[in-house]
Amino acid sequence: MKKRFLATFLAAAMVLGVVGCGSSSSSTTSDSASDSTEQATDAAEEESAEEVDELEFNPDQAEDAMTIDELREANGVEVTVNSDWEIGVVMKSLSNEFWRTLQEGYEQASADTGLAFNIQATTDESDEIGQQTMTETLTNQGVDALLLSPISDSNLTSAVENANDAGVLTVNVNDGLIAQAQHYVGPNAYMNGQLAAEWISEKLGDEGDVAIVIGMAKAFAARERTAGFKDWIEENNSGLNVWAEQNADWDRTKAKDLAATWIQQNPDLKAIFCNNDDMALGVVEAVREAEADILVVGVDGIGEAYESIRNGGLDATVDSFPYYMAQVATECTLRALGGQELPSAVATPQALIDADNVDTDPAELINWVAPTYVTE
Amino acid sequence: MKNFYVKYKREILVFVATLILCVVFTVLNPQFLTWRNFLTIFQQMVLNGLLAVGIMFTILTGGIDLSIGCTFAIVGIAVATCTVGGMNPVMALVIGLIVGAVLGLFNGFLVTNLKLQPFIATLGTMSLYRGIAYVVTGGVPVTNVPDSFRNIFNGQIGNSGIRYYVIVMLVVFIVAHVILSKTRTGDYLYAVGGNEEAAKLSGVNTRKTKYIAYIASGVCTAVAGLVMLASLGSAEATAGIGYETNAIAAAAIGGTSMAGGRGTALGTFVGALLLAVLKVGMVVINVDSFWQYVVTGLIIIVASYFEYAKDDFAAFLARHKN
Repeated sequence: MKKRFLATFLAAAMVLGVVGCGSSSSSTTSDSASDSTEQATDAAEEESAEEVDELEFNPDQAEDAMTIDELREANGVEVTVNSDWEIGVVMKSLSNEFWRTLQEGYEQASADTGLAFNIQATTDESDEIGQQTMTETLTNQGVDALLLSPISDSNLTSAVENANDAGVLTVNVNDGLIAQAQHYVGPNAYMNGQLAAEWISEKLGDEGDVAIVIGMAKAFAARERTAGFKDWIEENNSGLNVWAEQNADWDRTKAKDLAATWIQQNPDLKAIFCNNDDMALGVVEAVREAEADILVVGVDGIGEAYESIRNGGLDATVDSFPYYMAQVATECTLRALGGQELPSAVATPQALIDADNVDTDPAELINWVAPTYVTE
Repeated sequence: MKNFYVKYKREILVFVATLILCVVFTVLNPQFLTWRNFLTIFQQMVLNGLLAVGIMFTILTGGIDLSIGCTFAIVGIAVATCTVGGMNPVMALVIGLIVGAVLGLFNGFLVTNLKLQPFIATLGTMSLYRGIAYVVTGGVPVTNVPDSFRNIFNGQIGNSGIRYYVIVMLVVFIVAHVILSKTRTGDYLYAVGGNEEAAKLSGVNTRKTKYIAYIASGVCTAVAGLVMLASLGSAEATAGIGYETNAIAAAAIGGTSMAGGRGTALGTFVGALLLAVLKVGMVVINVDSFWQYVVTGLIIIVASYFEYAKDDFAAFLARHKN
């Protein structure tokens, strides 16, 4: 009997020990803000270096990466299209606005090129096997190229290997990374973070405490956006101090709760950067409730974020323009099918949207020039 | 007082554990011990608390309701659509509760009339309800919920920072407590979970009792959905994914037996409070996100061990009295 009682206490002590260790390993607390700045940025540097090493291939750091403009300059504006080509697309759930817009972009590309696109999307954001089946099916149907937006970094690995063996051109479009895919086309997630940091720094006069709401802790986009944000601050010797960072699993309510705790802990908090708009919109509610004066910046550029910026809620978002991303991905794919040399990564356009440019036509913001297709 | 202790040993132990956690957090960061921080903790326990008390009703009968996260999303979408369309906020609120009750009723139908195992039945409705949420909205969030609705829950008493939704949660817990400890329905709920056959033989209408449990779960979840909507001002089909696990954790920590027949509203309240203290505390002392999962998991395991420890504790006290 006594033993059990003792065991309970030991277990409790263990848990408390874990809490203690956890806190001492993370270096930023509110009361030691000044001297922890240095530690925090050191830690940030270490972490981002580690994160990059972990990946076999990181499109954000690819040396041969090009933008679509550079690609057009190098290979000529005209893209020759063979009307026999078949294009397969595998996307994530259309319940997400981002993927719906991407689909619209593919439909536009289909209209421009006159090619039929076979577009497949999963029913939810976690149907990893479903995506694999779709990819296998399209390969068996004999498509010439596959444009893939995988759910995770690994769920399409074997399907892509099979497709490569079957002579299908495989292009990874945004999101989960497939190391085996021949090319990557998507926004530079690292730059998402840099743009946000630069904007916040400018607005705050380069000083003040900022916090980061991370998405899913291991997700590539979350990692890169956070690293880009912190590295920008580091590299520009910014006076901004990354006071805290926590993850909220891309969940709006969790992000709101997190921000509410931060706001009441640190009255000097000046800005919160969120890894996506959904979380940012939750944080906006927390800021509004606390009647605090805090800048909130998100990433993705969903419709609700635009609306919130217009209404004075959200302060800014970094938009990756999925509608144009799909068109760039298609153009790159067709160039490669036509025999042109394509770099391992092509960065698609992105721009920071705030109250000043929220009503500007995105095509103007990114100097969009529609591709010129010539059918053989 | 002694009776209270005997009756609520488990709840008191969990509460003491919560206090110990508070002390630890305060030692690590004195900022933890402020009035505003306690308000934050209470605010952040509301959603999980409401979901937990709902799911507790089904667990008491030996069942489970995995669909609460999805019911939560549907109620949010339904009420958001109504209020954005200009409906009277109180009317919309009532509709939200009815939607929750109907979704719970359907779960009850599957479990009692079709005799499906609760885990399987609600696993099915979990996907079904989520699908309905996607189909109805097409994945587009419903936004711009008017303040007239939001203020019903989101307003605060004077300038105290105490928001109405905290009061709403307390009322729900009190009602649940009264139902469970003072009414015949409460006795039946425990009886069905303790031994369904025996309950049936002694004349308990087990079907009706199970229906009540699932409807109660739906209604409590609906209240959570309303609070979420008021708090965020928008509803989306992806809301509440995975929330059922935290609700189960709160109920389990508070002493609800997964086999049914045992558990109290007070225990679930304390369980939800402990999880909220943990959640806020780890942000306050800035624990790395990865460690938060580890700590939360350990706490659930340790708290469940109290189930045994409480007997030892009582024996320990008894020995030292003599």
